[in-house]
Amino acid sequence: MAKTIMVVDDSSSMRQMVNFTLAGAGYQVVEAQDGLDSLAKSSAQKVDLFITDLNMPNMDGIQLTRRLRAMAPYRFTPIVLLTTESQHEKKMEGKAAGATGWIVKPFQIEQLLAVVKKVCP
Amino acid sequence: MDIAALQRKMRDAFRVEAADLLAELDSSMLELESRPQDADLLNRVFRAIHTIKGSGATAGFNEMAAFTHHVEELFDEARMGRLTITPEMIDLALQAKDLIGQLLEPDGTDAVEPACAQVVEALAKFLPPDLRPRSNRPAKPVNDAPQQQRHKIFFRPHPQVFFSGTDPVNMVDELRALGDATVTARVDGVPSLETLNPEQCYLAWDVELLSAHPIAKVKEVFIFVEDESEIRIESHPEPASSAADEADPLAGFLNIAGQSMEALGGFLSQLRGTTDTDLGCCKNYLRILRTFQAAARHQGQEEPAALLEVQIHLLETTLTDKVALSDQTKEHLAKGYEKLADLIRSLRENSLRGSGFETRLAPQPSVASQPAASAADGPKKEALHAAASIRVDQEKLDRLMQSAGELLVARNAFPILAKKLVLEHGLSVMGKEVKDAGDHISHIADDLQAALMSIRMMPIRTVFQRFPRMVRDIGRAQGKEVELLLEGEDTELDKTVIEQIADPLVHLVRNAADHGIESPEVRAQAGKPRAGKVTLKACNKENNVVIEVHDDGRGMDPARLKQKALEKGLITPGAAEAMDERAALELIFLPGLTTAEKVTDISGRGVGMDVVRSNIRKLHGTTTLESRLGGGSKITITLPASLMVSRGILVEANSEEYVFPMESVVRMVRLPRDQIHRHEQAHFATFRNEVYPVLRLADHFASETRSGEIAWPEEVALAIVQTDRERVGVAVDRFICDVEVIVKPMGRDFANITAFRGATIMGDGRVALVINPAGLV
Repeated sequence: MAKTIMVVDDSSSMRQMVNFTLAGAGYQVVEAQDGLDSLAKSSAQKVDLFITDLNMPNMDGIQLTRRLRAMAPYRFTPIVLLTTESQHEKKMEGKAAGATGWIVKPFQIEQLLAVVKKVCP
Repeated sequence: MDIAALQRKMRDAFRVEAADLLAELDSSMLELESRPQDADLLNRVFRAIHTIKGSGATAGFNEMAAFTHHVEELFDEARMGRLTITPEMIDLALQAKDLIGQLLEPDGTDAVEPACAQVVEALAKFLPPDLRPRSNRPAKPVNDAPQQQRHKIFFRPHPQVFFSGTDPVNMVDELRALGDATVTARVDGVPSLETLNPEQCYLAWDVELLSAHPIAKVKEVFIFVEDESEIRIESHPEPASSAADEADPLAGFLNIAGQSMEALGGFLSQLRGTTDTDLGCCKNYLRILRTFQAAARHQGQEEPAALLEVQIHLLETTLTDKVALSDQTKEHLAKGYEKLADLIRSLRENSLRGSGFETRLAPQPSVASQPAASAADGPKKEALHAAASIRVDQEKLDRLMQSAGELLVARNAFPILAKKLVLEHGLSVMGKEVKDAGDHISHIADDLQAALMSIRMMPIRTVFQRFPRMVRDIGRAQGKEVELLLEGEDTELDKTVIEQIADPLVHLVRNAADHGIESPEVRAQAGKPRAGKVTLKACNKENNVVIEVHDDGRGMDPARLKQKALEKGLITPGAAEAMDERAALELIFLPGLTTAEKVTDISGRGVGMDVVRSNIRKLHGTTTLESRLGGGSKITITLPASLMVSRGILVEANSEEYVFPMESVVRMVRLPRDQIHRHEQAHFATFRNEVYPVLRLADHFASETRSGEIAWPEEVALAIVQTDRERVGVAVDRFICDVEVIVKPMGRDFANITAFRGATIMGDGRVALVINPAGLV
């Protein structure tokens, strides 16, 4: 059965782009607009991989990572952060919070697919 | 996946989002100008710009992203407290924001390049000198010559590795995919079952990898875990192949190829024979493919390796999804096998040539996941956090409105039917039931109407929000102080109306700020406050929305208006003489008239006010002007609040039925015959100390020629209607009743008939024409 990926980002065009790309590669994609939205939706359905932006209103990516890791079904689920080049400290913070890996924005379609395949084959 | 189509979709999606963000930036930046220390605002602005840059770059707008980066830096410094925002910076930022919008247009880049360069230069002045655009994009690893390497890899993940959502086995598999790998797991760290914590990782791996890939590629496998895990990689170039093969490497490969093909052939027939999934069989097949591929790569035979890659991918996908091996997949595998066989044959026959191979590598379709047994996995529960709003295609909404509108008219048939049943067929019980059903439907239709109208209604704020910026720009450009006050921004109007009044309102506000408000010195001399005030007010009045544009500037001079009109030959001297002040002010609505001292590039070309009035008229609204020399001007626009269903008054004239739109009717009166007077060809009525010109609807729409004049009845039914300029009494034969109608436009061929707004279908199916009072007089 196809894996379900949740993409969390407050930019609707970014969500759509990730959605098109992953859906085209055969994944089921669910969108959420910030950390709170993501928590609500992921408690209602099973998610196999989270891809989340860092800067979001209501709840940012790092906080979301911490909260997900505290949830029984998602303690060991891969979480990938979308960062920009200049956010090195954020990567460290993300790791400390339990994130699996990261993708640097802007990214090419192939890069996204490669990382997804890497952490959630 | 069609990449080009995907990229186009991404660009379109981004454009939509960018439009919203840019509009928001407009108002946020202006707010920031008056509250430059507001941390929340600074963050909002930064986030919006950051999103535009990030998502834009991903969507492919590279030049735009590079330009936006500079603006982002400015606001990053500001939100970190390292820089204070000044009005000059806001000016620049707004300019930049406009340029960003232009960069998003298709082919928008070249035209604005010089402007962008200027802005970047100007921005750089505000940034501390050590701030260079941070482009620490890692240099692309140089591809080593494809030489075989032997990598010795030791990998011990951190014991808590699972808590970062990582499965170390994935990394081992990744290594396997790079070449020919021998994997040994070290289990010496695994404790006894009693003390074993399943959430900890006790394993380590030794991997010997034979691969054409360089060490950098191997390191890449571990990028997410390298900090916390023990990883040792030793790489040595693999010595040239053994003597026998060196003598004839191709022969060595062909040997392996032969064996592999035989094994593959065997499994293939097994696969084709099965009707259900045999994962074991698939796994074997895959194993052979992989070994074959590794050998091919080992021998530098990239072409068969590539062909094999496709097959491997196909099978891997099938195995991962645990789907049934579809007939389609089997066909693909068989075809792939044939192709391989051909290739090996040709290799045998001649020395390897790469050309012509591409044609054999026809794209093979990827496997679509088909669940073997699609047991429903239960309805997915709705997300608890509902979306705040939904974007709806306007066309869909229009269709919905149309159907609802027709329902509202069709429901009127019920009372008529009920009446018929009772009066003509004596079925009073039946008649009552039909009436009750009709009433019920009527209530539902009313609810539906109210709900739909509210969907299309938008607050006028969406139009108002562009004005602060505009007024500010005009003020700054002309060295004037202009304050803009907005009232009633929450007043709601139909979306179409809002779209149509945008331009007229822009013109009016521009006029007020540009021509109306005087310079601070002139104002001070006149004893006025230095800052001029422009007020934009909207409110609901009965069925209408009233919008006022008011300024406390210099006002309009009736004498000058007359003079200009005379100069331009728009009125005759006699008419000018006879005109009173009110009529003189109306001159401003004549096309071609402007009394602006000089034509500024903002307004003043004299095409404005007449267009404003006609645009408002198209929306079935009225425009009135009040002005006091030295005191300012006020323009009042009155519009019907809804376009869908109009309330009207049904009247009869000359045995025909017509509908007057309710919002244009001021009053309905019945006057005794002697209050109608005649003067030359026209008629007048006096009523409550006012004189109204009167016209008779029957005369206007005479259906056949008559000789002589029709006598006026004893009591004249007069509808007093409001047009832009005046109130007119329209005499009808009789008033019938209030109606609710859906006004349908009459069609292109009748568009020139200004007397009618449209037509409507009454409850009994007949057509009545809806009158446009302004077009009558």
